[in-house]
Amino acid sequence: MLGNSVLTALTRAALFIGLALTGTALAQQPLKIGFGMSLTGPLAGNGKAALIAMQIWAEDVNAKGGLLGRKVELVYYDDQTNPSTVPGLYSKLLDVDKVDLVVSGYGTAVIAPAMPLMMQRNMAFMTLFGLNVNSKFKYDRYFQIMPAGPDPAVDWTRGYFEAAMALNPKPSTVALVGADAEYPHLALEGARAHVKRLGLKVVYDKTYPPNTVDYSPIVRAIQATNPDLVYLASYPPDSAGMVRAANEVGLKTRMFGGGLVGPQFAALKTQLGPLLNGVINYEAYAPDINRKFPFLDQFLAKYQGRAVKEGVDPLGFYLPPYAYAMMQVLEQAIKATGGLDQAKLADYMHTYEFDTFVGKVRFAKNGEWSVPRMLTVQYHGIGGNDLEQWMKPGHVTVLYPSEYKTGSVKAPYHENKK
Amino acid sequence: MNNKIFAVVAFTVAIALAAVTQLVPNEYFFSAAYTVLLFVILATAWNILGGYTGYVNFGSAAFFAIGAYTTVFFYNAFKAPLAVGIVAGTLVAGLAGLGLGYLTLRLRGVFFAIASLALSVVLYIFIVNWDYVGGARGAYVLQPRDVPFGLPRYIHLIYAVQLVMAAFALVVARAIEKSTLGRGLAAIRDDELAAECSGVPTLKLKIFSTMVSCALMGMAGTTFPYYLSYIEPSSAFSLSYAVNSIAMPLIGGMMSWMGPLIGAVLLGSVQQLVQVTVSSAWNLLIVGVLLVLFVTLAPNGIMGWVDVWRRRRER
Repeated sequence: MLGNSVLTALTRAALFIGLALTGTALAQQPLKIGFGMSLTGPLAGNGKAALIAMQIWAEDVNAKGGLLGRKVELVYYDDQTNPSTVPGLYSKLLDVDKVDLVVSGYGTAVIAPAMPLMMQRNMAFMTLFGLNVNSKFKYDRYFQIMPAGPDPAVDWTRGYFEAAMALNPKPSTVALVGADAEYPHLALEGARAHVKRLGLKVVYDKTYPPNTVDYSPIVRAIQATNPDLVYLASYPPDSAGMVRAANEVGLKTRMFGGGLVGPQFAALKTQLGPLLNGVINYEAYAPDINRKFPFLDQFLAKYQGRAVKEGVDPLGFYLPPYAYAMMQVLEQAIKATGGLDQAKLADYMHTYEFDTFVGKVRFAKNGEWSVPRMLTVQYHGIGGNDLEQWMKPGHVTVLYPSEYKTGSVKAPYHENKK
Repeated sequence: MNNKIFAVVAFTVAIALAAVTQLVPNEYFFSAAYTVLLFVILATAWNILGGYTGYVNFGSAAFFAIGAYTTVFFYNAFKAPLAVGIVAGTLVAGLAGLGLGYLTLRLRGVFFAIASLALSVVLYIFIVNWDYVGGARGAYVLQPRDVPFGLPRYIHLIYAVQLVMAAFALVVARAIEKSTLGRGLAAIRDDELAAECSGVPTLKLKIFSTMVSCALMGMAGTTFPYYLSYIEPSSAFSLSYAVNSIAMPLIGGMMSWMGPLIGAVLLGSVQQLVQVTVSSAWNLLIVGVLLVLFVTLAPNGIMGWVDVWRRRRER
């Protein structure tokens, strides 16, 4: 009798110790978050900036004791900005590195190839600046951090046309121009939808090859149609080319710009300097409205120091805060659900609002922001090519959305040059 | 070994390797193997024109993209299955090769190489402006939810298909090499004028080898949209396909069907390994360093080395 009870007690003790040891071992195992990121190739500059932001997030979380009692470890590979590397990298992350969660790299081209694998494995997939990727996949565990809104194609260009229709007298003609590439085509598609809705007359609607060298003939052709508005959707090299050409030719129109990729980053801001005066564009953040982003300064202070050392965008206004916010969303969902169950994480992310460095984030059914929040701005009063001026308020007027508005459009465009 | 026996052996090996899908749980293996097999097909295809005939084609990426975009076209138009894309893509790329042959094969040496590169640029612009296949925005090709033949995942199917296609490409390349046709091509490579004077129908043979080479390159591209689910012109026309399809036969050896196979397996595997261990940035450097080493130390590639070693042993 006594022997039996001693045996039972010993068994229980062994079981307890075993469980405790397993628990300890689990607690010591890092929580691995995997992703591919463009560290070489055409988008390497942005990819590296996003990586710095994600590393800062991991350090911040680990300084507070990690997640679920485990240290966070980022496991990442260079996708070379090459979509064909993505399926292999993500299957390695999931099957070989055994990561607990995955997030995406930067941009549509590297998000889409990861989608089939995410759908097969039922992973909650938080993504970074993809344009309308889920419109084809319709995956209910897809989430996207760029504030493009639930209908990205249309919402992306809404600010420009809302600002235009506030002009007095109202504009009646528009020229649409952009590069032959993925993003400009999507932006122009949205612009056409607004033009149709607002009853504007299209006097020019053409695209140009992305490797165009001389943009003056394009600007002259646009000028020949004498449009009230010129909407431009472009990638950095042609953004610079078109802005330079508009200045050289002396483009006369009431509003110019709208969808230029490039002036969000320090490199193009300092390169173009005063040539940007009068240009309308989109931005994710401007120092003029920093009181609306009360915690962002903490992040930017950490980011800017490192970015200078690593030779990437020293401002960090555009992509890095959203890369950090993407990880904050994941962090808050993990804490709230108390685990890594992908279904619970996705349900939580669909249901609740998240408090992040870029403001409050709520996701629509298709995983995009439920309300668009990209800022439409106009650059003005830029006196030289130094970076310092961009760090302070006074050179960017926010035109849209209304809750962030700091002023109205200064039209016509060419008057801003004086 | 005659061609029929070789074909039986090649397809048996391919099917045996495809059976691995039931044994290896790790999907990464299949993704990496898919990429290596893609290069096996591309390198083998390039070698039929570049190695056997001596005409350097810089337009591999264009024919690869023709195969890929034919799949996209049939997917968009009819929701056609992968098999239709493979057959159609191979045929369309073969026809494009025929066109390239007629238009450019009177050019020789560097002029042909430049013409093939120009064709790649023209096709790129054509695809960028063709909205039906996605144009500059790119196109989505969704993998079917039900995978045939009881395979667990779609990547297993694509891997198995790619194996069979690689075996097919090797069988075709070997059959050409060992035939009268192959000897005619070798004569063109060594001295085209002498070959013509000796009664070799040089233009006909060149056009035929261009057509077969381009058809196989197109075949390599047909599975690509299903592998990625999203395809856009800059990735389909990537220069890396053109560079690798030249570098791999050069390293493996351009005189026989085995050279591109060895070069593609070696270089492709090293690239896959380096990508997840050292750094992706090293990939191109490795290709460059290996190319320089082989061009200077072993101009006939690994197979050339093996031949020299064999001859020494026989003595």
